[in-house]
Amino acid sequence: MTDLPIGANAPLDGPSVSVLVDLPGGAEIAVTALQIYPGGKVRGDGDMCFYGQPRISGGAVTLTQGASPRFDIDLARVPGDVEKIVLTATVEGGKTFGQLGDVSIDAGPHSLTIPVHGRSEVALILAEIYKRNGAWKIRNVGQGFNGGLAQLATHFGVEIADDDGSAAPPPSAPPSPSAPPTPAPPPSVKLSKVNLTKTEKTVSLKKADGKFGKIRVNLNWNQRVQKKSLFGMSRSAGLDLDLGAFVELSDGNRDVVQALGNSFGSFWAEPYVSLLGDDRTGAITDGEWLEINGDAWATIRRVLIYAFIYEGAPNWRETDGVVRVYVPDQPEIEVAMNEYGSNKGMCAVAELSNEGGQIKVERKVDFFGGHKDMDRAYGWGFSWKAGRK
Amino acid sequence: MALSLSKGGNISLSKTDPGLEKILIGLGWSERATSGADCDLDASVFMVGETGKVRSDRDFIFYRQLTSPDGSVVHTGDNRTGEGDGDDEAIEVDLDKAPADVQKLVVTVTIHEAEKNGLNFGMVSDAFIRVVNNETGTEVVRYALPEDYGVETAMEFGEVHHHSGEWKFRAIGQGYSGGLMAMCQRYGINATA
Repeated sequence: MTDLPIGANAPLDGPSVSVLVDLPGGAEIAVTALQIYPGGKVRGDGDMCFYGQPRISGGAVTLTQGASPRFDIDLARVPGDVEKIVLTATVEGGKTFGQLGDVSIDAGPHSLTIPVHGRSEVALILAEIYKRNGAWKIRNVGQGFNGGLAQLATHFGVEIADDDGSAAPPPSAPPSPSAPPTPAPPPSVKLSKVNLTKTEKTVSLKKADGKFGKIRVNLNWNQRVQKKSLFGMSRSAGLDLDLGAFVELSDGNRDVVQALGNSFGSFWAEPYVSLLGDDRTGAITDGEWLEINGDAWATIRRVLIYAFIYEGAPNWRETDGVVRVYVPDQPEIEVAMNEYGSNKGMCAVAELSNEGGQIKVERKVDFFGGHKDMDRAYGWGFSWKAGRK
Repeated sequence: MALSLSKGGNISLSKTDPGLEKILIGLGWSERATSGADCDLDASVFMVGETGKVRSDRDFIFYRQLTSPDGSVVHTGDNRTGEGDGDDEAIEVDLDKAPADVQKLVVTVTIHEAEKNGLNFGMVSDAFIRVVNNETGTEVVRYALPEDYGVETAMEFGEVHHHSGEWKFRAIGQGYSGGLMAMCQRYGINATA
């Protein structure tokens, strides 16, 4: 067994490697593997293998928890543009690695020891597995950040919500193991997809009989807030994003469908739009759903879909909200709300309008101070009073 | 477009840029972003004669002796960090003034107090050496060091040598342990810590 001191590297033989991380006792330590691309950053959630998401890249990188957590990396199956995989460890509970014992790593024939005596880092880059001239190598990095997770995350381009902006937020205890945060489900296979953008604002959906079936509208957000807690940081003050709709029928009747005011609507009767439950915490990872009865589309004139921040700071960029419209037998339509840093709490996302029996979907992404402003801007003419759920 | 060399590569500066007299040897690197002791890298030049050693201790140009006695080699000091072209340190050489019995100028970069602070070249990335025509500002050649070093604390980046009446540049990229002291021993400087 070769011993690699900090800074040293050695080739990895074979198509896969198991990395056993021997952690010192005395504190909770969370380990994470990050897939890093050219430029030194991750690309998204899917690049992070940790206790809340122990399997990434279709199982090319997996984490098995235990007293000594183990990463199994199938090097041949790691995405081709991944430049390196860094293995990190973060101490919870306000401690530093210097207060604990050494960290050591076994990777096949290589043994890596990271002496930590007298050191003040809270987050460590333990090792990196990197590609060099087409072959994989492992390096004992053994360096870290006094500023802990926040600095580590910044270094690798992991975006986490950091409300207080302090350089060294003390990490809170991780969520109890019995209730790990549910990772977002893997995306289902999508053959086609329409992204409505500032330049491509509309799409028309046609169906000969004018019956569109069950149209489902999803609002999802909160990924970064989840990520933050996954990393063992405190969750930001509850951010509650609500999905709602203004509905106008062909007879001129208008209705509001939203959780606020308990106006959940109805799928089978007017307004043929109904809101399913209300995700107050974001813990339900697939967000909020509206259903529109597409078989009754002939009686609907227009539906304005909006999202509003019921609780929490209005920062749409951080909220990272996405509305997706699923119409049976039609491409999925996606509208992202993350491109503006508007400080207004309400966002008109998209409008579905009846044009000769077809559905015209138009991206709005306009921000308003509240229902009244939005109402006025689009000429709906509701009367408004404040309400609570 | 300047030439890029790989490890061990050689070019004739005189042929690539005829009329080249004054050069700037620019050196750059990214220090670690992590916490802990500063990773302080120092560039030095050893003016080496035919024996492979310096003629005297005065042929060692480094942070405490920035200019050679003949004025042909001038270390510009530590104050060029990150400006424009990205050289962290630079050495100016007047090739015409270089003494005839100096065969090569070996450019090294060493990590200050590496062992004491547990530092090595495994923690340094994006290292390069380049030769610029100091009169026109044109880059003549560049060598990006591979990011595959480990526990080395001293590194020969490259050398400018005199051969059959022309000046050549060679990309070296060879690491050593022992820091600047080891480099001094290698080239015959009688140094003490």
